[in-house]
Amino acid sequence: MKQVAIVAGGEAKAGRRAASWRDLVQEAGKALFEDVDNLSPKDVDSIFVGAAQPERFAFLSYVAPLVAEYIGVTPRKVIARTELACVSGQAAIRYAWNCVATGMSDIAVAIGVEKMYQPDMAEAQTTMTCVLDREWDGINCFSAPPIFAVTAQRHMYEFGTTEEQMALVSVKNHHYSSLNPIAHLRKEVTVEAVLKSPVVAPPLKLFDCCPMTDGSAGVILVRAEDAKKYTDTPMYLIGSGQYAIGNVINNLASLAEWVPLKLAAKEAWRTAKITKDDVDIAEVHDCFTISEIMEYEGLGFCETGKGGQFIEDGEPYIGGKVAVNPSGGIMGCGHPLGATSIYHTFEILKQFRGDVDKGRYVEGAEIGIQHSLSGAANLHSILVCSRELR
Amino acid sequence: MSMVKFEKIKRPEKIGLPFMLDFYPLQDEKNTRISQFFKSLKEGHLTTTKCKECGKVLWPPRIMCPECLSESLEWVDLGVEGELYAFTEIRLGAPLGFVEDVPFCVGIVKIGSLLISARIDDAKYEDLKIGDKVNLKIVELPDSRVFYRFSKDKEQ
Repeated sequence: MKQVAIVAGGEAKAGRRAASWRDLVQEAGKALFEDVDNLSPKDVDSIFVGAAQPERFAFLSYVAPLVAEYIGVTPRKVIARTELACVSGQAAIRYAWNCVATGMSDIAVAIGVEKMYQPDMAEAQTTMTCVLDREWDGINCFSAPPIFAVTAQRHMYEFGTTEEQMALVSVKNHHYSSLNPIAHLRKEVTVEAVLKSPVVAPPLKLFDCCPMTDGSAGVILVRAEDAKKYTDTPMYLIGSGQYAIGNVINNLASLAEWVPLKLAAKEAWRTAKITKDDVDIAEVHDCFTISEIMEYEGLGFCETGKGGQFIEDGEPYIGGKVAVNPSGGIMGCGHPLGATSIYHTFEILKQFRGDVDKGRYVEGAEIGIQHSLSGAANLHSILVCSRELR
Repeated sequence: MSMVKFEKIKRPEKIGLPFMLDFYPLQDEKNTRISQFFKSLKEGHLTTTKCKECGKVLWPPRIMCPECLSESLEWVDLGVEGELYAFTEIRLGAPLGFVEDVPFCVGIVKIGSLLISARIDDAKYEDLKIGDKVNLKIVELPDSRVFYRFSKDKEQ
């Protein structure tokens, strides 16, 4: 097995875009190949396309060859679409990583895309309700907000977490996204504004939720030994962890504690030969404010049940214990399902390069992790990225 | 610039809820091997499958036990009472077919060892608390398919 590096990234501006699914992927593809020296689309032998629900959002299936055609790639080793709901993008990176590591591919692209805006909001919600078990949970209207609402309710009930503490996550992430030009939402919010925003599903208000977003982002992976041919500042993939327990709500390990996240984290630290204390940047899946609070706990940055206190103490800010979501997270940047993980992996590369606004730059960062979850948080997935080859 | 011929074409004014966007599954024996679940529901019983080999009570109902791969399953009655484990109220962002019901409560109901998600009827969010007793309720769709919900026990 060879070590693998990411040598380039590219992204479309995220947001409610006046652009189609295929426009978005072309924007990301162009930016991706403009980000790298000595490499053109024709050199790429493999492509993985993270796309969660193109059948419903864009009335498209069989999207991997379509994307390859649009961005000028002729796949001749491995080509596939990866679908894992909100983890689809990280799944694409993992497949590309595996193919390059085994020698099956020399140069692989992982690119994600989702177009979530459509004329009828109810139709978009219907689409997302297919992600949970549609016949037993989705049918009861358990789409993303309700399942995270009951998760928040249990966390408040079992650990005393407050709505104000959850609001602080939104305040932090909107602060960082205000400094990120590709972010969907670029306005700061206050605790009061979060608490007064329209209730979606109590205890969750609108500003506790990530927005519906259009976007696309891609990265290029090569063997670590070849990385310097293409860039002076590659980023190395040094470890990962992924764990899923159950799917339907009845078969989750627990509601108020994310057991699969703890297990995925344990595996990520083991494979990367690091500890949680080595993590400088954590780009985590803050689809809702409660999610980020539970991720502080699940990743071991604080004790189980103490996530609310952790944000109250300012620990996940830059300069605190660990910089969590200096990109602005999903809350600020948006969550185009298939592209999200790739946006945030590229964010870590930009941080290592020093290619971000001063106000959200994590100076001297060596280790960054990208975490994504999907479904009813029954599945968690972590990539460990390093500035240096280890 | 030459003038091209211009013609208006017809499309249906309205298309009904397509089958794949109708959340309720097909329930008869022609379409599913767990049709017994829906048959029992029509008779007023919420049931599920239990593995005769390893004893595990499975939710949702299965045709095969994922614990021991046995196909030897039996139907067990879950009774008509449960306890509210968690709940919320849908106030924004309901899916197609449910928009006119907003606001409505949904929750997770504890029945024995199971945690079953369901609509919680006849109650506002403010009327509910964790631990409340809820009772089984069965709804029938216009096409005679059925589904289960729960409602707050008025005795409390």
